[in-house]
Amino acid sequence: MNESMVLSGSLCFLSMGDIIQLLGSSGSTGVLRLINRYAADPGFVYFSEGNPVNAKNGDRDGLNALYSLFGWVNGSFEFTREAIAADKKITKSRMGIILEGMKLLDDGHTKKVGPATAAGKAADLSRSPSGAAIVKGPLVDYMYVVDEEDFFDGEHIVEEGKHGSWIWVILEGVVDIVKESASGTVPIIRIGDGSFIGSMASFLLQGHIRTATAIAAGNVQLGVLDSQRLAQEYAGMSREFKIFLASLDKRLKQLTDCITEYHDGNVKVDDILKDKRVLIRQGKTKEQQLYVVKQGRAFVVRDTENGPVVLCHLYKGDFFGDVPFIHLAQEPEGASIYSSENIKIAKVEAGSMQNEYNRLSTTFKNMVDNMAACMCVTADVVCHSLSSKKTAPADSSIRQGG
Amino acid sequence: MAIFNLKKREIECKIVYYGPGRCGKTTNLEYIFKSYKKQVTGEMVSINTEGDRTLFFDFLPMGLGKIKGCDIRVQLYTVPGQIKYSSTRKLVLRGVDGIIFVADSLEVRREKNMTSLKDLQANLKEYGKSIFRVPLIIQHNKRDLADEGIPLMSVEQMDRDLNRQLKVPSFPGSAIKGTGVGVTLKACLMETLKSLQKEFKWAK
Repeated sequence: MNESMVLSGSLCFLSMGDIIQLLGSSGSTGVLRLINRYAADPGFVYFSEGNPVNAKNGDRDGLNALYSLFGWVNGSFEFTREAIAADKKITKSRMGIILEGMKLLDDGHTKKVGPATAAGKAADLSRSPSGAAIVKGPLVDYMYVVDEEDFFDGEHIVEEGKHGSWIWVILEGVVDIVKESASGTVPIIRIGDGSFIGSMASFLLQGHIRTATAIAAGNVQLGVLDSQRLAQEYAGMSREFKIFLASLDKRLKQLTDCITEYHDGNVKVDDILKDKRVLIRQGKTKEQQLYVVKQGRAFVVRDTENGPVVLCHLYKGDFFGDVPFIHLAQEPEGASIYSSENIKIAKVEAGSMQNEYNRLSTTFKNMVDNMAACMCVTADVVCHSLSSKKTAPADSSIRQGG
Repeated sequence: MAIFNLKKREIECKIVYYGPGRCGKTTNLEYIFKSYKKQVTGEMVSINTEGDRTLFFDFLPMGLGKIKGCDIRVQLYTVPGQIKYSSTRKLVLRGVDGIIFVADSLEVRREKNMTSLKDLQANLKEYGKSIFRVPLIIQHNKRDLADEGIPLMSVEQMDRDLNRQLKVPSFPGSAIKGTGVGVTLKACLMETLKSLQKEFKWAK
């Protein structure tokens, strides 16, 4: 511990007003440092012989900064005794500052910076018109949360292309998932409370490579999941179910990749669909059957107003068709399946998979459900990004013509 | 709990003026500030809170002697009545040593007085204090208004309303003219010191 640090504690026990009184009655000179996990930077108050002479909170200083610090009802403080070089910007009497600070707080002029406001911020984000829908997950099962971590606004939680196998669940806040493409950063999806960061692929191979970047939008609190326990659960599943999960995970990865590819405009839908036959026609099939690809290739294609959009490529071992226990909004009701000439498929008994799904732990089930929700939204984003791509050149040609 | 400032060899105690809005707490303090200027150390802090003003200043009472060789310094406060000023109220009422309850003698304010006293009890309870144990003085303020023909409650009736169970010293007063202000404060200081001394002996 720093030797000159003479006083430290928690702000919810000793409030700003109390600390100033305490330091005032002891006539101390030094720096009071405040740390609040809901604020990006620490706050500072400089004391000379018991009187606050200057303060700093973010880019504010002087009296305004000091008053704003009264709103820090949560966090910790430490006072170090040292000579101070700060300018004397505050001349108001100690008690005047305290009473005025308290009054501004009670009047609502000073914003409280604590857990309640962070939630408020998240609510604001969900209302913002610029952001797409936020995918929220089910209630968090705290049994699997082994640790909590905080990230500040703009901080990168994971980065695309880096190795890592940790899986987090968002306890509070909103996270932006983005991908790097040739033409810059492409936003994929926004996820909120209960959603997961990190994919099932983490269980499959050690040193899994992150497929996208996760950035905190506003301050975020994450729960680190007990990945060993999840991996153990995964290891105990039937081979078929494992393959099914891996197939789902591949689909989600492909969907995200699609967004960047369409964003860069290097997808030739017509080339892909040339000489292909339709196995399942979108919205036409009543059949509720799950298939697995044994040989050849298949494609998940959604028909939109702007023509067909290729969502995923399916290879040997991948599943398609109707999954009774999760809602993917793809084939058969929301997408068609095209296949190559040499395709061989087999029917899959979905009943046993359903049973296995029902036996999953809450957290694992949450992960599967959240993955499905992300796939629904991502598929929509893919179609949307394509349609906006298609209309954009049309605009420019008009401009050229005019 | 009074604060012992060992550096300055001072005992700092806190006296709070409590009462319904517009009852004359602030006027009491302003009168003290004006007429006991020599004993006031430091400036008067005045905060405009909704419907009321919150005042604070330091006061060095004369002729009270010393406790264990320490001077006695008194912090005088008023507390904003509105519910929303809970942080301020908490700060002011925490560690309070003596309370002066200023009651409004106007007939129309009868109920306000009683609600405010109940409020005080609830607030003190929140900070672990009992209204029956904390040094408390009641001042029946605005007695001068009787001369102007405004209907006032009799002192007896007010005592019945507010002081029947408490049985604390009560004084009539007119803060605007200054009558009863000094007496009230002095009585409160005496009660406060008595209770502090009792506390010290207890500790010994």
